[in-house]
Amino acid sequence: MHILNRIREVDMNKKIDGRIPQNSGDGAGFKTFNAVQSPWNKLMSYKDALHYASRFEAVLSAAVAQAYRIIIPDYATRASEMCKEAYARLYQTGINYPNDDGFGIHPFMCGSYPGALIGDKGDDALLMCGRCQDFGTYRCEKELDVCDWDICCSELCRATTMSLQGQADATESRHRKGHKLDYLMVEAKGCGDRHCRIIAESREKYPAPEHELWQSFGPAVSDEYKKYSEEEDCVDESMMFREECDYHFVNGTNNETDSSNQMVNLSTAASLYLLPAIDNAVKLGYTTAENAEWIKKCVLEAAGKALFGERYAIKACRDWLGVPNEIKEDGRLLGGVIEMLLQSLVCGYETEAFNENEVIYVINRGDLAITGTQSLCEAHLYMWQGMVKTLVNAQWSVWEEDSPKGKMRIKIAKKIDKFM
Amino acid sequence: MNKNIFAHDEWKRREHMAVRECVGYYLFTHQLMEVTGEDVGRFLDYVYPNNIATLAVGRDRYTTMLNEAGEIIDDVVVMRLEEDRYWVSTLYGTKADDWFYYHSENFDVDTSEITEDWHMFAVQGPKSKEVLNSILSNGVEDLKFFQNRKDEIDGMEVIVNRGGFTGEKFGYEIYCSADDTDAVQEIIDKAVKDAGGREVTEFQVFAWTLPTEAGFYYMRDLNHTNPFEVGLDKNINWDKEFIGKEALLKVKENGPEREMVGFEVTDENEDFYIRSKQYGGPGEPVYLDGEEIGRVSKLVYSYVKNVNNGYILAKKGSLHIGDKIKIHGYDCVITEKNWL
Repeated sequence: MHILNRIREVDMNKKIDGRIPQNSGDGAGFKTFNAVQSPWNKLMSYKDALHYASRFEAVLSAAVAQAYRIIIPDYATRASEMCKEAYARLYQTGINYPNDDGFGIHPFMCGSYPGALIGDKGDDALLMCGRCQDFGTYRCEKELDVCDWDICCSELCRATTMSLQGQADATESRHRKGHKLDYLMVEAKGCGDRHCRIIAESREKYPAPEHELWQSFGPAVSDEYKKYSEEEDCVDESMMFREECDYHFVNGTNNETDSSNQMVNLSTAASLYLLPAIDNAVKLGYTTAENAEWIKKCVLEAAGKALFGERYAIKACRDWLGVPNEIKEDGRLLGGVIEMLLQSLVCGYETEAFNENEVIYVINRGDLAITGTQSLCEAHLYMWQGMVKTLVNAQWSVWEEDSPKGKMRIKIAKKIDKFM
Repeated sequence: MNKNIFAHDEWKRREHMAVRECVGYYLFTHQLMEVTGEDVGRFLDYVYPNNIATLAVGRDRYTTMLNEAGEIIDDVVVMRLEEDRYWVSTLYGTKADDWFYYHSENFDVDTSEITEDWHMFAVQGPKSKEVLNSILSNGVEDLKFFQNRKDEIDGMEVIVNRGGFTGEKFGYEIYCSADDTDAVQEIIDKAVKDAGGREVTEFQVFAWTLPTEAGFYYMRDLNHTNPFEVGLDKNINWDKEFIGKEALLKVKENGPEREMVGFEVTDENEDFYIRSKQYGGPGEPVYLDGEEIGRVSKLVYSYVKNVNNGYILAKKGSLHIGDKIKIHGYDCVITEKNWL
């Protein structure tokens, strides 16, 4: 199959577009070409599932971003704290879990430019597709056409840049002395630009005044070397879902990754940046833990309600899940949505009840706490509580009850609460 | 209009031309696998398609490494240091480690990665011999191409190997222990600068522009090609068993479907947009009469010829030297895969 696909690269008189290889998924221990399945047997390919998970988590993250904005109202302060936290944490991650071989970083690659290899792979994994435009000791450039996180907040764009800087600096520490690169996001889809564009440049070769971490937006000194992709050259799918690279991510140093790998290694803006930023804000005294939790709850519930505020959204959701007409308004509708998400996140769960009166899931907290961010479980719960109000109706609620250790047992049922 | 990232970069040009006209040095530490044991020659002969066991002690050999489908998964230099002790210089250390492990079951061999114990400096260019003679106890006067031997720099033991990744007639690699690296570099640096040369610091120069002028490959260029497609089939020993032989024999019988050719961008617009695989991802499609006949593998710059140059992996026989083609709308010409 592999050989055929590669021959296809040459034989472009093809009448059949390239397809995802049938052995995709093997590397992640999936059954071949695994699909996600709704309670009504509607199947969704793992490619679509990954897109769904990415988009849903981006929406959830966007809501968490608003909570963070309430907690620290001043833009500069908020962005600065978020950047510092992201830099420090990802630097430490790079120190504690070095993986030069895994990223194709060669022993002679001194300095912080190999950090670009980490960012390049990470982008593709998060479906943020685009292309590396330059990769050198003194200058690197990466251009993205798609970013699901572009709906969150521009502070996130700044923080992701600093997390890359942290990873790059950690990489530098493992090699002989080299040249330090200043990573800048000179264009950002989260700010309305057509592309995200990271330019990393050495201040030895491209001198510029120093700047604060959160001011990592440029402009780049080497802007005149920028390579801009016109609309017709843009892509909307990651390499790992495009046939040109045989459905793999492949970088210039032959780091090859199958798409299935990303399905089990997803990270999200909320888990990696926004919830840790809120935790950090509590630590720094911007608010109390209780108040932060309250704000998250309010914002996420509102976001959940907004998802199905219009009747057409409910109709579309029912169609997407394959809900039979005989099922009217009950908790199984939200149950179907939750199951699709959990499967898409490769999150373990058991169905304890699934009927017109109640739906109960016992969810593996460790799986739902993506990248180990425990508060992400509650964030989902808040959002589901909002969603059930509009997807089903206001008689219905979602709450946690009698959870075994390490699990989150959630119940979807009718509930009256005079202080809801 | 945006500037060409190579053409106007005097920093890169200085470093590149130092190697071509004088001497340049750079840290070029690869991953090193040490393979020892009674069956080491037989084992390496099985892992690599080229002859390894017949190497004389103190000599090197360049070879591809293939998977069972006959596709290149690595290209390495194997150095025979002692009768039963070989070094394999690779940029695929992690995979090589696994590959060796899974294929060594029937061989009495020990394999270990020793990358952290050694650093390597490449000293390349017309004056490199003069530089090496000035810092080594024994010098390199009689050192042949792809010959290695022990020597000393200011009392520090090193292994000097004649070879390199630049296509220069005179080019050497100095392996030193990790502990001696700073001291060795200081001595090399002074000798190179005294000879009028410089340190080469830009990855794009020592990994891309210098090797490409000589028609050499780097990692992604060879990804999932077979030796016949990229001209690395000449020294394969068909009389022995090696991984990938069965698949490669079929390619040999039927002929390769693709070939790697050189090309230059001749378009007046230096702000051209042609994707190439060295950055990762797909290369720009190359069309002929509406049919896609290849992809751009590499596109860098020749500072010797002052032109953007690279490789295209194309359908065999579809492109010929001198052919004028358009790639993504830009004028290009097919050339030899050598600019020196």
